[in-house]
Amino acid sequence: MTTATVPARAHRASSDLRLLCRQVLFEQLGFWLNPIGATFTIGFALVFMVLLGLSEGNSRIPFLHNVTLIEYYVPSFAAYGVMMACFNLLSIGLVQRREAGLLKRLRLSPIPVWAFLGAALVSMLIIATIQVVIVVAVGRWGFGVALPHHYFALAATFVIGAFSFTAMGVAASTFIPNQDAAPAIVNVVFFVLLFISGVWFPLSPGSALARLSSWFPVRYFVNAVLGPFGMQGGRPTWVWHDLLVVAAWGVAAGIVAVRRFRWAPRRD
Amino acid sequence: MAAQAVVADRLHKSYRDVVALDEVSFEVEQGEVVALLGPNGAGKTTTLEILEGFRTPDAGFVRVLGVDPSDRRSQRWFHERIGVVLQEMAIEPYFSVAQVLRRNAGFFAAPRPVDEVIDLVGLTEQRDARAKGLSGGQRRRLDIGLGIVGNPELLFLDEPTTGLDPSARRATWSLIRRLADEGTTVILTSHYMDEVEALAGRVVVLSGGTVVATGTPASIGRRDEHPVTIQFDLPWDVSADELPVTATFVSGRRVEIRAEDDLRVLAALVGWALDRDVRLRGLTVTRTSLEEIYLSLTQGHERALPELV
Repeated sequence: MTTATVPARAHRASSDLRLLCRQVLFEQLGFWLNPIGATFTIGFALVFMVLLGLSEGNSRIPFLHNVTLIEYYVPSFAAYGVMMACFNLLSIGLVQRREAGLLKRLRLSPIPVWAFLGAALVSMLIIATIQVVIVVAVGRWGFGVALPHHYFALAATFVIGAFSFTAMGVAASTFIPNQDAAPAIVNVVFFVLLFISGVWFPLSPGSALARLSSWFPVRYFVNAVLGPFGMQGGRPTWVWHDLLVVAAWGVAAGIVAVRRFRWAPRRD
Repeated sequence: MAAQAVVADRLHKSYRDVVALDEVSFEVEQGEVVALLGPNGAGKTTTLEILEGFRTPDAGFVRVLGVDPSDRRSQRWFHERIGVVLQEMAIEPYFSVAQVLRRNAGFFAAPRPVDEVIDLVGLTEQRDARAKGLSGGQRRRLDIGLGIVGNPELLFLDEPTTGLDPSARRATWSLIRRLADEGTTVILTSHYMDEVEALAGRVVVLSGGTVVATGTPASIGRRDEHPVTIQFDLPWDVSADELPVTATFVSGRRVEIRAEDDLRVLAALVGWALDRDVRLRGLTVTRTSLEEIYLSLTQGHERALPELV
């Protein structure tokens, strides 16, 4: 038998934090090194917002305090940016890495699991933030839409939304059998949910779509993001009851994700 | 006695009702190159995954580098000291060779220098090429580079050359030999017997979830005690009766001699041929191949078992 001595926890938290930051840099590098993926991810929301804004941007929404459509699209596409990164990109990326054996190899390397998952989350937050900033900036200087008024509520809404949709993204990845199916499954689910939840056009209260979408988390997140932009009437503020629903979805998805997460590819 | 890199004692693993491993025991000494052989479903991958700490056995005792590989308290220490190359080539397409190696080197407290790894796996000219542009053999070598960038004491290679062309296989073999010469313990699985003979000092044959034989490639299954087979083409003007030993025709003028006492039979045959000035065209002397031994060892044990459930 060997007489190896095993130092139980020789690693300091500070060096692990450095490892996490380093991993974030490489995650970002991996994202931007694929120019088509990066352009598509960042540009998609922007192109749609601009097209929708140019065609019908000045129409007023009677059931939403008479705000104009473009005023509505800025927060709704900001919400889209967060969901795209945290749910869509993350879940497809996880399935691809799992099936390629990358997750298994990572699991067998000394990087702690929290550092890897934390880096993936931070990296998605960066991509989400970039999208939000671009959408808000184009809204402000392209269409004259006022900047959000309540930055703390905005930040809190985005962080809660990002964590929740990340949990949903991880949970979703556990239900997808292989990397070929991943983009198809995720995109169909994602865009149908966006469509029925009022990202592309505002839902009038009490309509069939509004009722249908109340079963899913996207609608609540879009509502929550409208708050800090002052689209919910009165002063800009949080929409805490909608945020609470999003957070509940996040917690439930988190439980599913932890229970079902797998590192190894699903062969056969 | 050299220290044990691996001690596996009566490992047992079932997936629901299916027994994947039953009483699997073997040991690996430090610095050894050991091949796990067996048909698909024999339990090779499950065994590797238990040794890597990726799965826990239902019963049995396992120590790898002196620790329980699935023990969370020592897991990081353990992961610093092993390298893993999986069956799938686990490489992100957009990173360059140097980038992906640099990233993974950062996971380890004491990695091997990235440039040294690049030279070792023979990718110096491709160091700034993206992984997706590499050939199959180059990707596999990058994959092995990722397995050794942590400077492991123990390297797991799951079918390292499956799907490679002959020259890429040779290059991979010489890389593995170099690592072994440096003192790295290597545990590999393979379906190629020539690979096993070229690399492994010892073979563990698994079949139906149990170890059916262990030994060196030359002696496993009493291969070294099997009779040799001598074959050659008998000239037209010589009859088989004139030969000093009993021979049988296998096809046309080709004759075969099975010899237990190989040296004596060969000496008699060669002496006779020189005396009579008979040319023994196409002379071959072969021992039972490792493949034949392997097939006889694993026959009747084959079961369709899922390696992963």
